[in-house]
Order: sequence, then C-alpha cells, then structure tokens
Amino acid sequence: MKIKSVTDLVAKKKVGLQKILPGKPRIAVGLATCGIAVGGDRVYERLKEIIDKDRLDITLTKVGCIGYCKEEPLVNITIPGKPLVILHKVDESDAEEIIRSVQNGGVPYDRALCQVPAWDHVTGCVMDYGKGFDRIPLYDNIPFFQHQKKVILRDAGLINPEDIDEYIAIGGYFSAIKALTGMDPDSIIEEVEKSGLRGRGGAGFPTGLKWRITRDVKADKKYIICNADEGDPGAYMNRNEMESDPHMLIEGMIIGAFAMGAAEGLIYIRAEYPLAIKRLTLAIEQAREYGLLGKDIFSTGFLFDIRIATGAGAFVCGESTALVASIEGRTGRPHPRPPRLTDIGGGLFGYPTDLNNVETWCNIPVIISNGSGWYATIGARGNTGTKVFSLVGKVDRVGLVEVPLGTTLSTIVSDIGNGGANNRKVKAVQTGGPSGGCIPFRLFDTPVDFESLNKAGSIMGSGGIVVMDEDTDMVDIARYFINFATGESCGKCVPCREGLKHALLLLNRIMAKKGTKQDLETLALLSDTIVATSLCGLGQTAPNPVLTTLAYFRDEYDALVKP
Amino acid sequence: MTHEEVSSMGTAAKLVTVTINGKKYGADEDEILLSVAVREKIAIPHLCYEASLDPYGACRLCMVEVVRHGKREMVTSCTTRVTDGLEVVTDGPEVVKHRSILFELYLAEAPKSEVIKAMAARYGVTKTRFLKKIDTTDSLGNKCILCGLCVRACNELMGAGAIGFVNRGPYTVVNTPYFEASRDCLGCGACVKVCPTNAVEMEDQKNERIMKSWSNTRVPLAQCDCCGRYYAPKALAATILARVTPSLKEEIARCCPECRGKLIAKKEILAKTGGAR
Ligand SMILES: Cc1cc2nc3c(=O)[nH]c(=O)nc-3n(C[C@H](O)[C@H](O)[C@H](O)COP(=O)(O)O)c2cc1C
Ligand code: SF4
Ligand code: FES
Repeated sequence: MKIKSVTDLVAKKKVGLQKILPGKPRIAVGLATCGIAVGGDRVYERLKEIIDKDRLDITLTKVGCIGYCKEEPLVNITIPGKPLVILHKVDESDAEEIIRSVQNGGVPYDRALCQVPAWDHVTGCVMDYGKGFDRIPLYDNIPFFQHQKKVILRDAGLINPEDIDEYIAIGGYFSAIKALTGMDPDSIIEEVEKSGLRGRGGAGFPTGLKWRITRDVKADKKYIICNADEGDPGAYMNRNEMESDPHMLIEGMIIGAFAMGAAEGLIYIRAEYPLAIKRLTLAIEQAREYGLLGKDIFSTGFLFDIRIATGAGAFVCGESTALVASIEGRTGRPHPRPPRLTDIGGGLFGYPTDLNNVETWCNIPVIISNGSGWYATIGARGNTGTKVFSLVGKVDRVGLVEVPLGTTLSTIVSDIGNGGANNRKVKAVQTGGPSGGCIPFRLFDTPVDFESLNKAGSIMGSGGIVVMDEDTDMVDIARYFINFATGESCGKCVPCREGLKHALLLLNRIMAKKGTKQDLETLALLSDTIVATSLCGLGQTAPNPVLTTLAYFRDEYDALVKP
Repeated sequence: MTHEEVSSMGTAAKLVTVTINGKKYGADEDEILLSVAVREKIAIPHLCYEASLDPYGACRLCMVEVVRHGKREMVTSCTTRVTDGLEVVTDGPEVVKHRSILFELYLAEAPKSEVIKAMAARYGVTKTRFLKKIDTTDSLGNKCILCGLCVRACNELMGAGAIGFVNRGPYTVVNTPYFEASRDCLGCGACVKVCPTNAVEMEDQKNERIMKSWSNTRVPLAQCDCCGRYYAPKALAATILARVTPSLKEEIARCCPECRGKLIAKKEILAKTGGAR
C-alpha cells in the first residue's frame, strides 16, 4: 500500500502502535552489532525456541542498541499496563527465567537495570507504558542515562529497526509529509539554517548553508550523499544510528532531497558494516513499498530514490572528494578544492552534490517536526543540538552517549562514564578519532563544542572519545595514531606520505630510548609542516596526537630522550 | 609573447591586476596563479604542475601566502585562480620554513635525483635530517617524487592508462598493474618527457622500444618502407592513424617522417612537370 496522505500515515501509525504495545507481553532483544558481539543473538534464539515450543502468547522482537554497551546484552520487556523494563547482562541461560516471570506478569528482578514508565520519542509521540515494579530504579535515576539527552537516539533500542511500521508508530515520516506537502524548499532550508545545525562529519560546516548553496546552483541534475564511511578506530555512532533507526536517516534524506531538488541519493557505507547495510537495504525496500521513495511521493509529483554504495574501508575515502572518486570507480585520492562537491563539475559524475554525515541527516526530521526554535534551545550558542559520542577506552561505563553540545568533558567522562575502568585514574581523553588531540585531565572543564576542542588542540571529528588512564603511555599513544595515519595516507602529497612516515620513525626511535632532544625538536617542526602543507584533512590533522602530547605531556617525552 | 599580445589575440577573459611581492602584474581573471608567476619570471618552486593537465596540487612546493582581510593564508599557487586585487607573498617566513622541510623530505625520498638536489640548494637546503630512502630494486632509480605527471600524461593526454599508482601511503610507487609488462603502453615516451626528475627510463633497441622503468614493457617499432629505419612505436602510429583522414593515412602509414617529406616533394615536382600519376 502506498502512503499518499496524512490519513494513510495515521492508519499505519495505528498498525505500528499495535506492534509496540501488542496488548500482550513483548520481549525485545538489543541486536545491534554490539549486542550480537556479546551473545545477544544467542539470547534471542533461546527465547524464540521456548516461545515457539510452547506456542506462548508473547511477542519477541529485535531492537537496536540503547547505548549502554557495557551492560549488554540488553533485553527490554513490556507487559501491558506496566513500565518498560530494561534487563542487563542477560545470558541465554536466563531465558527460561525471563519467560517464566513474564508469564506471571513480572520480570526477573535480579537482571533488571531500570524501568521506563513513559518514553518521549520527541517527534510528538510519548509512549505511556504504565506504572508498577517499584523496586526497579527509574531510567532517569541511572547515572549513565541521567546526564544524557536523547534526540538522535530517541528510538534506538526501543523500536524494531527492521519494521517501518514501528518507526511510523512513534512519529516517523510525519516530518517528511509535513515538509513535502506543507512547506516549500526555501522554508525547509530556512528552518535548517535557523536551527543552527552544523555538520556532524567533523568540520562543523553549517548544514543549512550547504543546502542553500546546492539548491542555488543551476544544473539539470543534483545528487545528495550520506557519508557513512566512519573509519575512525573506536567510533561507532553512525553504525548504531543506522542499525537501530535506519528510517530516521532515510526520512532526513527525503526532506533534504526535496529541499535541494535532487532525485537521487546515495549512502556511501563501508563494507565492514554488514548489519547496517542489511537494515538500510531493508528499510529502503520498505520505504519504496509504502511509496515514501520512488515516484510521486505523497502525490506531490516529487521523485526521489536512494541507492547504497559500499566502500572498501579506506579511512581517506571519508574525505569528500576521495569519496566521490571512490563511488565513481576511481582510486580514492583527494583532489584540491575548488571545485567543491557543490560546484558544477565538482560533485558526483560532475553534478552538484551535497554530502552530509549520517548524524547530520538524522537531525533533520526532528528539526522539521519540532521546529528550529525548539532545536536551537538545545546545546550552546553556535553549537546547537545534541551530539552522539562513543565513549570507549579505559573508562568504566563504555557506551554511546548523547549530550547537548557544550557539555563538559568531565560530565561525559566522570559523571556518565564514571571515570576510569578498574578504579584507575583518568589521565586524558582523545576526541575526534585518530587525528584528534589528547586533552589532559586538568582541562576537563572544556565544553565539547567545535571551537573549544580546537582551542585545546583537538577536534570534534565524528565523535569518538577515547579515555586514557594513568597507566597509558602517551608517547606510545601518539605513535599508535601516527602509525594508523601513515597506513591510511593515500600517498598523494609529500607532507603526509613522507612526513608521517618520518614522524613514525622518529617516534620509534624515541620509544626505543635512542632519541635525542634534537629529535623532539625535529618531530615538532615536522608536525607543524604536515599540518600546514598537506592537501586534505587527513594530513592536516594527523599530527594532532603528537602536537598535543608534546604540549601537555612533554615530561613523558623528556624522560625517554638523551639530552 | 607578452601578456598584452596574448590578450590582444582575442581571448575574452577580463584583465585583472595582482600584486606579487609588492609589485603589480596584469593577468587574465581566473588564470592559474603559478602560470602568472612563471610568465613574469617570479621564482616559485614546483614539481607537479603542467598547464595541459588538470590542477593536481600534490608536490606542495608551490605554496605561497595570499593576503585576505589582512591575514596571510598559505595556498598552492598551482590551484589558485587569480582575481582582481589578489595580494600574494611568495617567500614569507612561514612559507620558507615549511618549504625547507618539504625539500628535506624530497631529499630523503629521492636521494639520487640531481634535479632535486639542485632545486633544494637554490632554496638554501643542502642537507636532510630524515632517513634517506635507498631501494636498489627501484625501477625509477630512487629519483621519483610521485608528482604523478607521468601517470596523468599517460591517462589524461594519451588515454593509454598503462601506468598508475601502486600501493598507498609511503609504499606508493608508479608502475604497470601487477608489475607486469603493459599491453596498453603505446611507447609514446610522454612519461619520459614530462618527468621533472628524469627518473623514467626508456631505450630503443633495433626494432623494439624498451620501457625500462615500466616492468621492461617492450613495444615494437614500425619500420620505414622507404629507408628501412625503425622510427616510431607501432601502437602509437596506429593510434594516430586512427585519427587522420583516409587519404592522408595512405601517405603516412608506410614511411618515416623524413622519407615522407621527400616523397611529398617528389610528388609536387612531378605534378608541376605534368608527370603526375
Ligand atoms: C580523512 C578524512 C576522513 C573523513 N571521514 C569521514 C567519515 O567517516 N564520515 C563523515 O561523515 N565525514 C568524514 N569526513 C568529513 C567529510 O569530508 C565531510 O566533511 C563530511 O562528510 C561532510 O558532512 P557534514 O557537513 O554533515 O559534516 C572525513 C574527512 C577526512 C579529511
Ligand atoms: S594529506 Fe594524505 S591522504 Fe590527503 S591527499 Fe595528501 S597524502 Fe593523501
Ligand atoms: S606545483 Fe603546486 S602542488 Fe605541485
């Protein structure tokens, strides 16, 4: 059935709500890649076995990840009239106990992490689960969740990402229909501009402005692309966004395509993300079936479709010009800009192209549904909205964290992450992926926004936060990242290709206690030149780990070198 | 030819004025900054720029400072197009500092290249702090600086695509796919001509041209029907013949350029004297 009107959409919403609140117990297993990796799929299989064998009247479903990766596998249970309960560290051997409790109208208390009486899906739908289970702590009182604000991850871990009806149930595609049938392209772009949204791919370029530039070029054809290359070690925000809520991305792209006048969209995703590819493929098929992609969307005459293009996992292919080269079948090597992607001759197959990160696209539906005014109140001035971070490394509570921009590092690492793992003291964090800088503990009152991180010598990047503790050797950390960057350099320009190699050789020497003070000086000078003269962002930022550790942890270098 | 002469030949481009190191120069709007500098004999070192190819921006030696809103910003002059009032400084302290390090990197990357040594020396760099790369098996004799000119000439100009970049990062080299003799090589030698460090080697041996740097690719040479000399690669001749009119084809197909000249002269004389075929 094709959805042509709000009435059609509302009808589908009812169908979806029936699935989320089926009037009987529903058990949902967190099955994003992170959940599967720790045995979530075995829990799911075991539960299915028991339910099938006894033909029990229980709905079993898959959901994405709510972000608390440390506590996985996570299972959530809804019993009609009762709050949703999240179980943690569930094992397949817990399956029988779970089923038994559920049949008796309860949950296994010893596995319960918290309860959710009502959940705000932000885009106009509050899911009222119910009251009860007073012994189980409230979601809002769990320190890991308490300081977070879920806007992008509002559905993650709660709805089935493989079922479009559930996305529609919690308000999905209502923004798309509002934009396509009730707004003109200009007013959509104005909303995005007024929201203050900045690109989540790393550089923080104003999204509305990029859209306007793309809209304003005169060309017979335009493309929009979603950058899902996510090549930073330790970063998996985009993966979870796609695995847990793929329709949010698709809806964002539909609205963007309409605003910019593009008929074709591509999602460039790394081949190392098979589950995300599978769920996106499925989501695209379902959206086509409902007429949300394809010809004459919502009877407006607007035509738009999305294709998936897979990349072979080269970090540099996340860079815009290399990404386009890669889709076109050429070697993924950056070229100097201009021409920019938005220029005639500069984009995909020469057509003007808008490129945005997964999370940037995911911000669009909520801006349209709740308005730019609402959106702009979240976060800080010039840095509006929330940002998802992957909090990893030597931190106690590992997971995906969503906070308003401008939240301090200390809130993220100490309050949400509970400091170092195994009670070790935290020494520094690295933000922004392999080319981010290491910020020392004493600067943890730094607000996490594009400008403050730059001032501290680091970058926002796509949102990786790697925690280092007192046992971490900072020189070794710098070497690790330079080694990564050297291996990922495309080899086109000399500062990055040769410069990083020599930086690595120098670091090896220093680590082997064969270095001199002179070597440290050379390393610093060389790093400066790589930053100042490299062609693309990879080389321009790759020395950040060296430069920041030299600035903040100089004593560790000095202890290794001969005078 | 002076700039005014070129412009008076009917180019539609708007004339603009740019200031380079405090002196004013005329240029066409959107002209490549480096080409303005080259024309005006302002020294900017460069290794990967070639007017007939797309801007590439890989060697990074041509970086200069552009003054915008009172602030200096480093840009590559081979990818910057001039606009009216553009202000450029080619040898500011920042540029000199970074360029010197780049030269040191080149001295380490291509330690056998005399061209690089001479160029670096002109800019005051005679030693490198970095470990020199010596690879005795390198088919480019440790002279290649990966400017990509040969690869681009082969692809963009000749359309042959016989050579390309192999590997990536510091392991990048230029060669044929899988280091096997190339079937696509025309033997045109454009790569040899365009290489700024004279790294690419080829040699004609009797009826064959050997591309020594490119996995010893052998290209057969065409023999002149008239004098018996081997004069051009067969594949190259075939590519060119495919582009000319049939009547010319007949004439060019069998002889070397010298004999062809003689042949044409002979024909003309015969025609004038009434003995045409
Ligand atoms: C080496 C390198 C890798 C990059 N990798 C990614 C990536 O994985 N995902 C991404 O969205 N942007 C990446 N970027 C940034 C993109 O070039 C581009 O700025 C971004 O996709 C634009 O989207 P936005 O405006 O929504 O941020 C990378 C940039 C560089 C230089
Ligand atoms: S900076 Fe590195 S990755 Fe970017 S073009 Fe230069 S060599 Fe390639
Ligand atoms: S000539 Fe400009 S970068 Fe090489």
